[in-house]
Amino acid sequence: MTAGAALDRLAAGEVGAVIAELDIGRAWLVDPVSGREGAGELVVRDGMIEAITWLEGDEAAGVDPGGIVVAPGFVDLHAHLREPGDEDAETIATGLAAAAHGGFTTVCAMPDTTPALDEPGVLARVRAAALASGSPIELLAHGAVTVGRAGEQLAALGELADAGVVGFTDDDAPIAMAAILRNALAYAGALGLPIVDHAEDRALTAGAEAHDGYVATVLGLRGWPAAAEESAVARDLAVLADVVRDVPGARLHLTHLSTAGALELVRRAKAAGLPVTCDVTPHHVALTDAWLAGSRSWAWDAGADPWTDGSAVAAPYDPGLRVNPPLRPAADAAACLAALVDGTADAVATDHAPHTSVDTDVEFGAAAPGISGLETALGLLLAAVDAGRLPLARVVAALTAGPGAILGGRSRRRSFGFVEGAPADLVVFDRSDRWTVTPEALASKGARSPLIGRELPGRVLLTVADGRLAFEDA
Amino acid sequence: MSVAEPMAAAGASASEPIVAPGTPEVDAAPETQSVPWSHRHLLDVDRLTADEIDLVMRTTDAMREVLARPIAKVPALRGRNVTILFYEASTRTRVSFEVAAKNLSADVVNIAAATSSVTKGESLVDTVRTIEALGADMLVMRHPASGAPYLAAEIFGGSVLNGGDGWHAHPTQALLDLYTIREHLPPVPAAPGEPSPALLAGRKVVILGDLLHSRVARSNIWTLTAAGADLWLCGPSTLLRGFEAWASRGAAGRRFTVTSDIDAALRDADVVMALRIQRERMASGLLPSLREYAARYGLTRTRLAAARPDVVVMHPGPMNEGVEIAPDVAAGPNSVISGQVTNGVAVRMALLYLLAGTRT
Repeated sequence: MTAGAALDRLAAGEVGAVIAELDIGRAWLVDPVSGREGAGELVVRDGMIEAITWLEGDEAAGVDPGGIVVAPGFVDLHAHLREPGDEDAETIATGLAAAAHGGFTTVCAMPDTTPALDEPGVLARVRAAALASGSPIELLAHGAVTVGRAGEQLAALGELADAGVVGFTDDDAPIAMAAILRNALAYAGALGLPIVDHAEDRALTAGAEAHDGYVATVLGLRGWPAAAEESAVARDLAVLADVVRDVPGARLHLTHLSTAGALELVRRAKAAGLPVTCDVTPHHVALTDAWLAGSRSWAWDAGADPWTDGSAVAAPYDPGLRVNPPLRPAADAAACLAALVDGTADAVATDHAPHTSVDTDVEFGAAAPGISGLETALGLLLAAVDAGRLPLARVVAALTAGPGAILGGRSRRRSFGFVEGAPADLVVFDRSDRWTVTPEALASKGARSPLIGRELPGRVLLTVADGRLAFEDA
Repeated sequence: MSVAEPMAAAGASASEPIVAPGTPEVDAAPETQSVPWSHRHLLDVDRLTADEIDLVMRTTDAMREVLARPIAKVPALRGRNVTILFYEASTRTRVSFEVAAKNLSADVVNIAAATSSVTKGESLVDTVRTIEALGADMLVMRHPASGAPYLAAEIFGGSVLNGGDGWHAHPTQALLDLYTIREHLPPVPAAPGEPSPALLAGRKVVILGDLLHSRVARSNIWTLTAAGADLWLCGPSTLLRGFEAWASRGAAGRRFTVTSDIDAALRDADVVMALRIQRERMASGLLPSLREYAARYGLTRTRLAAARPDVVVMHPGPMNEGVEIAPDVAAGPNSVISGQVTNGVAVRMALLYLLAGTRT
């Protein structure tokens, strides 16, 4: 019995309906918790994983990792769902639908809403919207570090912790004052929660549009130096080392690192035993600043010069490529990939940042930064797998157990692997099938993506969250 | 500068242009001419081939011939609407485009962004759609954001000519600069049986000043290296940021030298192009003072003595005399600055003509 045939047995259920019975036969199972991957079968009954069977020898013949893959549902530590305040760009409902389409079953919303998620009332509102959506996707949230994300006065960290936030971040309003960061790390550390920092020294990025290097120079875009990220990471790590002596529970998570230097700093800090974790985004792994010049080559295929290597097939200055941090040269993208391979990067986070066309159909430097990433994350990572640059097991781990560990038990999921008797939380995708990114194919309202028109590997066939149907390929 | 000045100066100041074979017959409508030109828009010069640049030069020769006539006008673009949309203050480029379009008998609409609905918050996309709906066939635009003309070209049904975008490109300026250099430094004739050498082969060309913020410099890098020049970029290191990366990454044959050593740059130079220094650069901490800039990088007669005696001195304007260029150099015997303005009209006529030929 093929998995495809097995999936047919889902009687066209509605999103949110409990999975009565699902037999996934002869597929490639990847369990990041046990570290096991291979041919297997998985049975779900009444929303629970009833049985997992690993196939051996002749039974496993013909099942390979290039076909139907089953993995635990993905976890995104960093998604902008825009509600409340900017519902034209995304709502909780559309954001969760996008997550389900991308294979994510746990999503952490960022607090840069209007108003900011700096007190429990906003969290209650976000949760109510998630409940009303009927989506089974688990919605978690980060609280703001400071009131109004203004960087001056600590937000109600204790109340937010009691209400269930999973961490604190001011994200793209990074904490400028080291003293505030120190206090936040200490206070949140005592609550058992991490500070999630977007590492950017704003003094070096005023007016910046694109990574400060060859491409930005030729295109006349204001340079965004790698040093802006690296000096902020160095500061954060120095402050963390200072705090952790007094508050052993202090934890720092650095989100969307994008430069080789920043990742090397984290690599060394981890080796020195500092309680730091980090994530990278799929777009910083797979895309480069050469895309701004019209290149559409994956980072690992990048030539030396988009003006002469023949890779420039699109018009330059696509405002959909404006993102913070900016797309970097191939060497930095390779460092992001290497960090995923060696575990320096604990997780992949999407930095899903949808916008309306009013904010993106404008001059490059005026475009609101951000890429809608929930639905294309898997495809970009599988492109790296297809190119032989990234093991499939690392992709799955960085999308499940890696970020799951950073949530520190605040998820409803007791495990980010397969557990018999636990509610089913899984994604089934077909690596032999490709799909084309089009606005119509995306569930996100912010359907502007630099990948529109691009074919990606790995069609998601089915997403199950908490034993309930989240997404099923039509 | 008066509108009439460039035309009046055209016949007087320069040597008689020679119209080479293979040049379009510019009295006729452009769509009737068979020329190897396929670009609907002129957004940048980065993809122009040496042959295409040569075609622009030869078409400009033909336009110079038109400008030398008693009535400097041809009917080539009669019935076409050229809309000039400038989001930045400009006198010479805007007027130059307007004169060029009128010399080709086009109807010209001038929009200064400060007086349009742009000040009411209208987006560039909406503005361009409106201009198209009002019947524009060609859109000449200047915009403070690098890349803005690409956005316009994506939605505009006609041709877009970039009149300067941010720090990125100023294609017509680079082509008029090349034309002006060609006029004063004629290429060495080919030896019998040998292919013609590149237009600027063996010529040392120096661009001096604020490279970082200069669209003129960026476009000139493409055209001057395409013409085979030995190109040097010189200025304070804060204003050269990023150019070393470009110099070392560019394709073979398109390399250039980047230095803060003005004496090395000027030694035996055939052409020196000084760029405007803006006062804002001091406020942003890139330079200590204008006085210090003038002392260390100002183009003075003393410094210029290190260049070749027949060195060609250029400036895209507007000048800060006494800062990046000394008044006696700007007005001196080696200066071709007023010739640049004159040639600007001819080059823009040539480009309007060539682009118009890609549409019927």
